[in-house]
Amino acid sequence: MTKELEHSFVSQLEQNQNIVHKICRLYTHDSESHNDLFQEITIQLWRAYPKFRGDSKFSTWMYRVALNTAITLYRKNKRKVQTQDFEGISFKMKSEEYDSTVEDQLKLMYDAVKTLNDIDKALVFLYLENKNYREIAATLGITEVNARVKMNRIKEKLRTILNP
Amino acid sequence: MDQLEALKKEWQSREQVFPKFTAEQIYPMLLKKSSSIVKWIVIISLCEIAFWTILAFLIPDSVNEFNNEMGLKTIYTVLNVVNYTVVAIFIFLFYKNYQKIQVTGTIKELMGNILRTRKTVRYFVYYNIGLATLLMIGINIYYYFNKEKLYDLFSQNELPGIPPEAFFSSFFIGQFVVGIVFIGFLMLFYWLLYGLLLRRLKRNYKELKKIEV
Repeated sequence: MTKELEHSFVSQLEQNQNIVHKICRLYTHDSESHNDLFQEITIQLWRAYPKFRGDSKFSTWMYRVALNTAITLYRKNKRKVQTQDFEGISFKMKSEEYDSTVEDQLKLMYDAVKTLNDIDKALVFLYLENKNYREIAATLGITEVNARVKMNRIKEKLRTILNP
Repeated sequence: MDQLEALKKEWQSREQVFPKFTAEQIYPMLLKKSSSIVKWIVIISLCEIAFWTILAFLIPDSVNEFNNEMGLKTIYTVLNVVNYTVVAIFIFLFYKNYQKIQVTGTIKELMGNILRTRKTVRYFVYYNIGLATLLMIGINIYYYFNKEKLYDLFSQNELPGIPPEAFFSSFFIGQFVVGIVFIGFLMLFYWLLYGLLLRRLKRNYKELKKIEV
């Protein structure tokens, strides 16, 4: 039974690991902390897994546990002072042509998002993942109206960062 | 916000490249130990509860005998009973709060529950420091009004030949200094320990609360 549970968990995590990676990248600054956070999120997911009833999608459930771990439970390693992103932003290009201007703008935007505080980052992340305001509000534990207002303020903040 | 919309579009249409973990790499991760903040808070809290409970047992017999002779036996017995009841209540509350910490709750719930668990232990520590301070003040007032008896007991055993006036001034100043240093040390210790551990959590909780206003 435990083996079965373990097997289904690992295969689901393997399939959905990109969600965890995206969160790790937003909340850490080097590959070592990235992997460290990934490890901690995996432990938290595994611990909570027996209570996962499947009434929501595995990935939906995962957003919550992963963000909770990144924002609340994970203790940032203060020893490292590196702030450089470990491999720059790398979106795999699907199209043939490579537009460096678009790429640069995206990178600037991404860097701006990374300067936000932990809570704002979570809102933007869920927004980028195409979650609606109801889901965003439910993950954070705030009302839908407040989530909407907050998101507008964050957009304003990002605009100021990008166009000082 | 054009740029954010652009990022959103790209975010979804393009696959972000990450080093993929295989199932073989994920299995060993399940066996690793968590280093989450909750784990540390529980460990430290249990140590605190144990520390204050054990401290009561560590008082040497000579002190107890001394207090019995000073006529403080009854009041100490009553205090002990009250104290153990309070400790039991605190342990129960701590356990109740700890149970509520769920990683599957909303971000706000999780933070709130961790802070509540911490608060329970903090009140436990305040209670102990407060009780120790009151006890120290109370006992010294009692000593002061029973100076002669105190001097007799001390000069019998430890300090033969010291004049009463010199004895009283050094005794009460000594009590006062030790008390202040002890409490100061404890406060510094807590400030350092939890200041470092909970700073980020508190900041984020405040940020989340601000959204609601």
